[in-house]
Amino acid sequence: MSHAIGALAIAAAGAWLAAAILGLGATRRVGLVASAVLSGVGGGGGVVCGVLLAVHGAGPTLTLGAGPVGGASFHLAPLAAPFIALLGLVAGAIALYAPWYHEPESGTAVYLLVYNLALLASLAVLIAGNVVAFLVAWETMALLCYLLILRHHTRPGVAQGAFLFIALSEIGFLMIVLAFAILATQTGSLDLATIAARAGHIHAGWRTAAYLLALCGFGFKAGLVPFHIWLPAAHPVAPADGSAFLSGLVIKLGVYGIALFGFTLLPGGPGWWGVATMGFGAISAVLGILYALMEHDLKRFLAFSSIENIGIIVTALGAGMTFTAYGQRAIGAFLLIVALYHTINHGTYKTLLFLEAGVIEHAAGTRDMDRLGGLIHRLPRTAVICLIGTVAIAALPPLNGFVSEWMLFQGLFQGFRISSHLVGILIVIAGALIALTGGLAINAFARAYGIPFLGMPRSGPAAHASETRQPLAGPALLAGACVFLALGAPLVLTALDRVARATAGIDIHSKLIVPKLTVIPAHTDFSGFSPTYLALFLLAISVVPILIFLAGRPRARSRRPPVWDGGILEFRPRMQYTATTFANPVRVTFEPLYRPSVHIERASDDPAGRSGPVHYRFEVMPIFERYLYRPLTRLAQTLANLARPIQSGDVNLYLLYLFVVVVIAYAVYAT
Amino acid sequence: MPASELERSAGLDELSGELRRRVARAFGRSLHIRTVDTGSCAVCESEIRLLAAPHYDLHRLGFFFTPAPRHADLLMVTGPAVRAADNLLLKAYDATPDPKVVIAVGACALGGVYPGDELVHGAVDRVLPVDVFVPGCPPSPLALLQGLLVAVGRLEERVSTLSLDLDTGSAG
Amino acid sequence: MAFWFYRGLRRGIATTRYPKTVDGWAGALPSPPAFHSARLTVESVDRLVAECPAGALSREQRELFVDLGRCTGCGRCVELGGGAVAPSGEFELAASDRSALVKRVPIRGRGEEHVAGF
Repeated sequence: MSHAIGALAIAAAGAWLAAAILGLGATRRVGLVASAVLSGVGGGGGVVCGVLLAVHGAGPTLTLGAGPVGGASFHLAPLAAPFIALLGLVAGAIALYAPWYHEPESGTAVYLLVYNLALLASLAVLIAGNVVAFLVAWETMALLCYLLILRHHTRPGVAQGAFLFIALSEIGFLMIVLAFAILATQTGSLDLATIAARAGHIHAGWRTAAYLLALCGFGFKAGLVPFHIWLPAAHPVAPADGSAFLSGLVIKLGVYGIALFGFTLLPGGPGWWGVATMGFGAISAVLGILYALMEHDLKRFLAFSSIENIGIIVTALGAGMTFTAYGQRAIGAFLLIVALYHTINHGTYKTLLFLEAGVIEHAAGTRDMDRLGGLIHRLPRTAVICLIGTVAIAALPPLNGFVSEWMLFQGLFQGFRISSHLVGILIVIAGALIALTGGLAINAFARAYGIPFLGMPRSGPAAHASETRQPLAGPALLAGACVFLALGAPLVLTALDRVARATAGIDIHSKLIVPKLTVIPAHTDFSGFSPTYLALFLLAISVVPILIFLAGRPRARSRRPPVWDGGILEFRPRMQYTATTFANPVRVTFEPLYRPSVHIERASDDPAGRSGPVHYRFEVMPIFERYLYRPLTRLAQTLANLARPIQSGDVNLYLLYLFVVVVIAYAVYAT
Repeated sequence: MPASELERSAGLDELSGELRRRVARAFGRSLHIRTVDTGSCAVCESEIRLLAAPHYDLHRLGFFFTPAPRHADLLMVTGPAVRAADNLLLKAYDATPDPKVVIAVGACALGGVYPGDELVHGAVDRVLPVDVFVPGCPPSPLALLQGLLVAVGRLEERVSTLSLDLDTGSAG
Repeated sequence: MAFWFYRGLRRGIATTRYPKTVDGWAGALPSPPAFHSARLTVESVDRLVAECPAGALSREQRELFVDLGRCTGCGRCVELGGGAVAPSGEFELAASDRSALVKRVPIRGRGEEHVAGF
């Protein structure tokens, strides 16, 4: 079995490598389709590999040669299993989507080469068995994603978005390298399994430094606040399937890194590590959704929503670490399972939503919610698929987002079991913040679905959107996956329980799934519900209104006049809510947070009604850019300016430097 | 009145007893009224508003005001049917489910104040079929109550037997 | 308990009991005119017809037509009628037929016999 898992992983890697090479032939439709097919096959292999690895609980190790830094070794650890399965699912869905989305041309060829290699690099990150392999794979993946974002590099905003991505990715990478360097030097080994075994003996100060560096470094990739500013800049400008890959998978690699450090390499850390992680997560969740509500570009909105969901996942991870540190290992393992489950869920529905955003952009010509409307009539099947994704991400029953958020809340509400009252209160505060996030998310996604799809079209192109030749299979696959992840939650959770057993060392299967397919949060006396039966129940009681209608409908002939609209002449699109106005209550309530700059211009000073057009512009203040990044970059520039005289260009000065260094070297060597 | 209206009202006279009984059975003691203003001076509206006040209290008779024509049984139309309000009036009429009753209230609605021209029809019965006419400028709330009760058949009309001749007392 | 409740109990119920009884003051509301047909002459009627601002009065031969639908109850005909016209005090004027609102009053007065008024 272990060999089968390894073979599947190698097969997936090989398929993606082949897809990359075939992608170079995507200047013709044949090449495009062939590359997509191989990419999809690789995706399927990835899914099976991930599932088998999770269920089986151990995977093979493969070592490749020895180089100056010890060569590369690859090890399939159970913790990576959900991520590998998600990678496969995302790759498969995008493979079904790409042939309809891309045009066969040279830009697409380069893009597909880069994309498939990025899939390969992501797989390599997940199966890396030693520090060198991890770092090389990580940086390769980051550079390939940078090239991915630059697909349409001549369009406005693309270069800046890609630059922000790579700049922050490099800062994070620096921190990750430092974290690994600390661990490698203190344990004397580059192999991850050996580091995990010996990490308990490292001095506490080094361990803390390593963990904090890892949290921040991987937080840059994951998109935790305040490391998130690249997400809303880079996601909208990448092609739709590129954004889907970034948001569906790449940011989860940051989560994988945090989980790797928190549960595998440095387990048993003090409670405050978990609380700090939880704090980052909860704040990211709330700020993510608050900023999302102010966006009317669909993809920027989805990018902020990704920040929110990453916040939820990291909150679960942090809470899990906290509970474990205070002896509640069962709840700790439960919350790890929640984090992994939400990772898979979010990967599924966020990928779906980004792919659909691409469909909408192609069909209606714009991503601006204020220019869309009525798409449910023009793009009916897209609307249904998008509705499934929206209901899932808004955490509404019976879909998978609801199940994972319910489980998260049940885990957080058990904070009273912790002996430290302060930490218990902090956990409850985190729960309250996540609850606020949940409510705002429902508002945000009602807006994100209602404004573009319902009502009347607000612009000409939206009124003429067409669904012909738009990709449906990829998003439909993901919608089906959402439903399966919800109805089949007991199955998925059983697999994740095996992962948690292998990672955290504790088996809570009997305290997770009880008879009648019910999920309980690690304690039998707390709460429980069955996702499967809930879905069936909701389906069954939807019969009741149908029966009431059939029993009570009028028997006589009835007349069907138009909807009563108050007697106005005609209903015009401009009378509808826009995305901006729908979010107004939130804008007004959280104004001290947004600190908006509002500009109102009238065409003339005549009284209202005769003054001509009034222009209203509202801008959220970019707090992090202004108060964190700009001062830091100015500091860096100041320091660089101070150091500039050293590089005067004067050869004589350089010779002086050489002379001084040689003298010092002699002096040091002589003693 | 247009010729078609004359024919129609002649037919209604034959049926009026039967119609009254059927309408009374349909609405009985619960009637929802929706007022439509087609360009009045709003004094008729003040009198209509007084109906809900404690002094006249139309609720004790089972009458209620409703803003939605969908819920209405009776349309109370004021104003001389300004042409700009055609859309509004016809939409409200369409939106009111059958069976419905239309009463025209006030001298404007009865054709007494404005002649028909390019801005105004002049009388509501040039736009909609009117069942009961309530004269007055404005009709007092008591007159409105009588009009409503006649419309649902709980009171008999008195104006046909009314005499304005104080000497002979014969009805004109 | 609200003060108005006690005040209301002391003063009694002010709601009208219409249609069971007609309030005494209903006759004093503005109402269409009633005519002493014996005192009307063709000349006086013509004058009334000219003065009616609503155009509710019209004369055909020796018959005065009063269109109740047009009457606004302004009282000008009562003032200028010289005792021949009085407010009718009627308010129950609803009709299902528009033509039922046009009442006919015969003009039975002789011109020379009329003394008072104008």
